[in-house]
Amino acid sequence: MRKRMIATMLAGIMLLSVTGCGKGGDGKDGSVELNVTTTFAGEDTNAQNYKDAVKEWEKQTGNKVVDTSASSSETFKMRVATDFETGSEPDVLFYFNGADANSFIEAGKVVSIDEIRKEYPNYAKNMEDGKIPGSLVDGKKYAVPVNGFWEAMFFNTEILEAAGVAIPGENYTMEMFKKDCEKIKAAGFTPIAAALGNTPHYWWEFAIFNHQSPSNHLEIPKNADDAYGQAWVAGLNDIKELYELGYFPDNTLSATDDETFAMFTEGKAAFLIDGSWKVEGIVKSCQSDPDKPSTLDTKKLAKFDVTYVPGNGDRKATDLVGGLSSGYYITRKAWDDPEKRDAAISFIEYMTSDSVVAVFAQHAASALNNTPEVDPASFNDLQIKAMKMIAGVTSFTAAVQDLFPGECRVSTFDGMPEIVTGKVSAKDAVAEGLAVYYKK
Amino acid sequence: MGANIYRNKKPAFLFLLPAFLLMTLYLYYPFFKNIINSFMDIRQLGTSGTTFNTPWYTNYIEMFRDPNVLTSIKNTLLMMLATLVFQVGIAIILALMVDNIGRGKRFFKTVFFFPIVISATALGLLFNLIFLYNKGMLNQLLEFFGKKTLTDWKSEGIALFTMMLPVMWQYVGFYFVILITGLNNISDELYEAAKIDGASTWQRVRYISVPLLHNVICTCSILAVTGALKVFDLPWTMFPKGMPLKSTFLTGTYMYYHTMETKNVDYGSALAVLIVVLGIVLSKIVNAVFREKDY
Repeated sequence: MRKRMIATMLAGIMLLSVTGCGKGGDGKDGSVELNVTTTFAGEDTNAQNYKDAVKEWEKQTGNKVVDTSASSSETFKMRVATDFETGSEPDVLFYFNGADANSFIEAGKVVSIDEIRKEYPNYAKNMEDGKIPGSLVDGKKYAVPVNGFWEAMFFNTEILEAAGVAIPGENYTMEMFKKDCEKIKAAGFTPIAAALGNTPHYWWEFAIFNHQSPSNHLEIPKNADDAYGQAWVAGLNDIKELYELGYFPDNTLSATDDETFAMFTEGKAAFLIDGSWKVEGIVKSCQSDPDKPSTLDTKKLAKFDVTYVPGNGDRKATDLVGGLSSGYYITRKAWDDPEKRDAAISFIEYMTSDSVVAVFAQHAASALNNTPEVDPASFNDLQIKAMKMIAGVTSFTAAVQDLFPGECRVSTFDGMPEIVTGKVSAKDAVAEGLAVYYKK
Repeated sequence: MGANIYRNKKPAFLFLLPAFLLMTLYLYYPFFKNIINSFMDIRQLGTSGTTFNTPWYTNYIEMFRDPNVLTSIKNTLLMMLATLVFQVGIAIILALMVDNIGRGKRFFKTVFFFPIVISATALGLLFNLIFLYNKGMLNQLLEFFGKKTLTDWKSEGIALFTMMLPVMWQYVGFYFVILITGLNNISDELYEAAKIDGASTWQRVRYISVPLLHNVICTCSILAVTGALKVFDLPWTMFPKGMPLKSTFLTGTYMYYHTMETKNVDYGSALAVLIVVLGIVLSKIVNAVFREKDY
């Protein structure tokens, strides 16, 4: 009898624990627990703004956000894709609206803005619909954008001065850039901070862009031999040339992006091509406490500046890569859950409200109908320099890599070390990526 | 009635059933499904292949053409050899030395075993900092001793050494504990008798400890070799995507790379089949080489 009682008790405990697992999605007091994944993490300019906004939304609604944000990288993109494929996607996702979103849009795992507006007519009504990019799959709009991005070239004025290099401007060309790199190298510095074995994205994009123009940069080649294919091959060969000239760090094939970024912020490398999200990372590197803006060393920050990416041919230096490439998605899973639907809508409406978007966008563009005035006094030195640089931009073009799915980029991203060391020809690598693209 | 309960085997089957069902569902079904997947065209995780590759054995032909497969097999075999020589070898030396000291045995047991309890990913991050090119611990140390240039511990020539060192370091303690337990099981009387007969410390180790440890060493060797086939997390944390130049792939990390990173799921499945075949063949060889003796 006693044994039977113990067995019944144990079975009861097991059952309770299993039931407890099933109820993990809801708050204890009727509040809703929302799983959210974004790219506002790490060195992203808006990492802290995002944390603050989430905290404020939680305070206002009593709901809770389970945040699984991470810095954007190929691994992060794979994680998101895998989460969708295995049914463990988040409720709300701030993610790219290009080819990286194709798989889960094709699978019907996110809800379009039009469908949401049937139930919530005011959803994203503060945005200019024309500025919200449509999906590459069906042209429908799914992601509500927050802030735009730009990619440009940061540089360390102190190194340039030490090497006797003039500050690059709007007419900067690749030939001038190579001459400057030679001087910088001769002065004992690393000219370019880039981890070709880990994050070749920015160089990949601009090197190819330099053999095209803003009007045709987004054309995917049919093969490696057509005009666009040749442009891609030529772009990759340019990177190979820079590698052979010794302008990248000695450990560029084995370093991580964080390592080469640290080289730049520590004054060991002169140039860094990166996105608007890196501004905050550079500012934080000038703070004695990265979490306290009051500890900013303004003299150290004054050494950093941002300019246009050296141009070539039909692409002027002032033709940059930029736009609204990301936005907030609601997943079908959250939409179909009556408890989560309202919370997900409320969260996105808050995160894309005029006041929050203004904080996130800062010196970058947004899709708001009425962009609130921003007080320039709240900007730091590098943000002001960035705004001046943006004022001279002649065009913003989206990134062609956003139209080229991750698995197609493998041969030229993961394969970049093989390309620059000559183990694989740029043409073969491009052809391999295109073969995957057209097989899909 | 009392004796009948021992004759009735039905309850035993009833208790075995849940484990059998779980094993079938989570081990055998995925195993056989994976073999089928290796012949199909699958581009996404979580989706079943609907068509077979043309020809259906494409992935297996590709494996012979893919130079990274050969690299990963070579590296895995090298890892096995290093595991055997350094993990088990160092563990034997440490165990014999600790067994011969009077006090502090427990202290050394704890110290040597400690790395096992740290997660491999955390260790990977730790060693990333140690081997960091710019301001890493090792390079700072070399700079202190007068070295003028920085060493890229992750460059092509020495990446394998950098990858294997932490793996060796982590598991020495595991085999050390097994071996020291084996040494504790050897009767003190044997050592005392040998001492009375005038045997030196070295002779006691050579003629008593090592022969009587034979079976334990065999067990450790089998565990080490089969364990080397499964090493994944630490190498992947330190050298993701076979970095640099795809020279550090192991069979496990290469299979993961294709499944999770390149989305070539069916090729990843074929590589998983290769790992199983490799595991069976190597286990047979190891079992034949390290056959235990009956005393």
